[in-house]
Amino acid sequence: MAQEAHGAIYDLLAVRGVSRRDFMKYCGYVAAMLGLTEAAAPQIAAAVEKGAKLKPALWLNGGSCSGCTESIAQVDSPDVATIVLELLSLNYFETIMAAAGEYAEKNVDDTIEAGNYLLIYEGAVMMGEDGNTLLINGHKGKDILEKAAAGAQAILAVGACAVDGGWVYAHPNPAGGIGVQSFLDSVKVATPVVNLPCCPTSPEWVVAMVVQWLLVAEDDPATFLDKTALLAKNYRDNYRDADVTLLYPEYIVGSTIHDNCPRRGHFENGEFVTEFGSPEEAMGYCLYKVGCKGPQTYTQCPITRWNRSVSWCVQSGAPCIGCGGLNWVDNNAPFFKRLSSMRMGNTLGNVQPGSVGAVVGGVAAAALVAHGLGMKAAGRIGDGPPMEDMKVHDRKRMKKGGDK
Amino acid sequence: MARSVIDPVTRIEGHLRVEVEVQDNKVVDAWVSGTLYRGMETVMLDRSPEDAFYVTQRICGVCPISHSHASAQATEDALGIEIPEGGRLVRNLLEAAQFLHSHILWFYHLAALDYVNPINALSADIADTYALAQAAGTRPADFGAVAARLAAFAENGQLSIFTGHYWDHPGYVLPPELDLIATAHYLEALEVQAVANEIVAIIAGKFSHPMTSVPGGTAFVPTVDKLDDILYRFVRVKEFIDTALIPDTLAIAPFILDATTYGGGTGNFLSWGVFEAADRDPVNRFLPRGFGRGLSLEDVSPDDVTEYVEHSWYESGTGLNPKDGETKVKFTEYNTEDKYSYGKAVRCKEESTESGPLARMVVAYLHEKGGKDLTGGAAGVRTPAALIDSTLEALDVAGKPEVLVSLLGRVAARNLEAAYVADLALVWVNELVEAMKGTDLSFWKAAEKNTGDGVGAWEAPRGSVAHWIGIKGGKIDHYQVVAPTTWDIAPRDASGTPGPMEQALIGAPIADAEKPLEALRIAHSFDP
Repeated sequence: MAQEAHGAIYDLLAVRGVSRRDFMKYCGYVAAMLGLTEAAAPQIAAAVEKGAKLKPALWLNGGSCSGCTESIAQVDSPDVATIVLELLSLNYFETIMAAAGEYAEKNVDDTIEAGNYLLIYEGAVMMGEDGNTLLINGHKGKDILEKAAAGAQAILAVGACAVDGGWVYAHPNPAGGIGVQSFLDSVKVATPVVNLPCCPTSPEWVVAMVVQWLLVAEDDPATFLDKTALLAKNYRDNYRDADVTLLYPEYIVGSTIHDNCPRRGHFENGEFVTEFGSPEEAMGYCLYKVGCKGPQTYTQCPITRWNRSVSWCVQSGAPCIGCGGLNWVDNNAPFFKRLSSMRMGNTLGNVQPGSVGAVVGGVAAAALVAHGLGMKAAGRIGDGPPMEDMKVHDRKRMKKGGDK
Repeated sequence: MARSVIDPVTRIEGHLRVEVEVQDNKVVDAWVSGTLYRGMETVMLDRSPEDAFYVTQRICGVCPISHSHASAQATEDALGIEIPEGGRLVRNLLEAAQFLHSHILWFYHLAALDYVNPINALSADIADTYALAQAAGTRPADFGAVAARLAAFAENGQLSIFTGHYWDHPGYVLPPELDLIATAHYLEALEVQAVANEIVAIIAGKFSHPMTSVPGGTAFVPTVDKLDDILYRFVRVKEFIDTALIPDTLAIAPFILDATTYGGGTGNFLSWGVFEAADRDPVNRFLPRGFGRGLSLEDVSPDDVTEYVEHSWYESGTGLNPKDGETKVKFTEYNTEDKYSYGKAVRCKEESTESGPLARMVVAYLHEKGGKDLTGGAAGVRTPAALIDSTLEALDVAGKPEVLVSLLGRVAARNLEAAYVADLALVWVNELVEAMKGTDLSFWKAAEKNTGDGVGAWEAPRGSVAHWIGIKGGKIDHYQVVAPTTWDIAPRDASGTPGPMEQALIGAPIADAEKPLEALRIAHSFDP
């Protein structure tokens, strides 16, 4: 059985000062991330142990700020987590690899030729100026992605820019940044893509999905999607004028930030921060009145938290800006205002309802409305955060008759 | 005559191409090209000023805090806000944590592999390694375990991130024992940079992309407990700087002394100044504002900036100050005789000007030699001039600060700056603890108007950053950024004068044009 498994992996762990106990604990943590029970930990350990050779992987940067690379450098329990990452042979990882220039390019070509690799893509796919907004040794960034994606067993699109173009997609940018799935649809590459949200993405989420791929890759990589608990979200890519379906790990996007927020109790009690830097801030009151997008943002940030779990945005005193949502800049800015108008473009991902209450389902919505109304009646919160005017971009485009 | 190209330049943030013309093993001409365009300035139009704070920091995932501070300052300048004292102290701590993270990551994880060969460390004698560490005054580690770890890694035959590099280049001259020490510290530094970023997370929610230094001050209200969490992390990071980063730099330097003879560049240095003093005067910042024309100090203002696009892929007006600047992208083709970069040719006082730690340390050094006190009144703070003078002495070039204007000088300046900032950070935490004992410390102030023009000129770990904003009726109607690396990777300007990295490359030796390691070292020395 897996518990008795021994071999290359345990020797490797031993010289790295990691006990088997720590490793199994870590596998239990990963199991939770994948939405499995801790009983799955031995299977995870076994899957990782099985590989005599490191599984090859490429980490490519498109139109990125390297923030997701920085994020992965902040991974929790590095003595253990990076071991699992080190079980990958990251043959190309622009920000930390030794090689440069044609030596670096050769690593990509060799890996593609050998096959059976995982592709991790950070940053937007740059389409502007006929794809010349990103050039690497004369090759368009999008062409490099197309080639690497076609030969990969699976792709992780890490961070908001790789998911849907992120801020680079925001109107009216001529740089033309779009998401990996949308781009691959356009060039008819069917390699499975799993999307990891937020700007930057969470290192723990990346590690969890890498392990998931290791779990299935040895047996049958074709079952990667079937064996992973996923949620689909649809949106319209206005740059391509096409509908796109994105797959996300269910555990990561299954509930709102508001649902799991440690400040939720203050929300229920009608205790709000109304001014930054105030005593209410120090007391950890709810940030809804200063524009928090937690109620409409579906990520597990409050659970995973950031930087080895020391804190996260809302804990530090800032309202959530919804960077885990689709087209987050156009949809969520102005960040300190409540959203009033629906953005143009008939896309599920872009829907921003007239009141926060309408976006959350069931009991949570009822609670929001009840509290909002109740507290308004009591004169305690007024109307909540100020409503934004209609977005300037939307008004301009309405005058023009829409995007086209 | 041969053209040698490094594209992609790896171990940097972003996408960069370096092309050099080599004659008789020497670079005779150079072209540096930024090969990515993302259009941030265009995205900002018609949005709210706080949106600029949150979005423009996404220009860089390695120095987002500095961008966010420059953006917030631009808005504060435009709307006439002076942030409260609590906001100033918190922002300085946040900026310091990012500086320390960035400098440690740069030296060990981005630059070191140009000098340190981890594969060569396999042949190190463990006892000799301990002896060398002791002699060099650098931090011991379990060198035997690290060697065993490396051996297991190498035996597997899959070198992962170390695959396919110039490892057989004659420029790798360190003894295997020093390679082993540096590799052990490479691994430990992975942990230490993460500790520095935990400070960022406590104050600003996460790294990268901080959340709290909003226009008007900060949304982070410290408690004594949180300051405790911050203080012990700063202590840990400072200990690593003093016991590894600085002694490692001094241990490696004697093996690469030829790097004091090339890689100097333009000799013009800009610092907007960083780490705000109580009087809010940029000239009195802990790393002060100033322009070094060589080793002679001048005043400088954001009005001294001009941007040229003759060799850049834009069809915007040229020779403009960013307050009137525009960004109209237009790709043509890569042609070193014509247009070859998405970087604009930014100039200060019409000079091709370097920014970054070397520039800041030179400017601070000149201020100190002119009588300025940079200790902040605290005992035990090692100031830039003290650090530079003692390092020059250690390298047997006492009294010759001009040696700094070189590849090795640029490497050393960054690490010395880390020591100064770490000293200050401890002073500032205690200052904030004291300030919190009063009752009138506040952290944020609202704007009283919604129209105006402003500029925030600040420093990121890698160089000078400035954001220019125009706000009309609460909406942004003008936004321009001169990012830190824009200075150093600038292409030629209207007069054909090369940018700072280009000038630093020209004259450098190239032992093997197929493996231009020296060019890679120079590029990395700017932390582009």
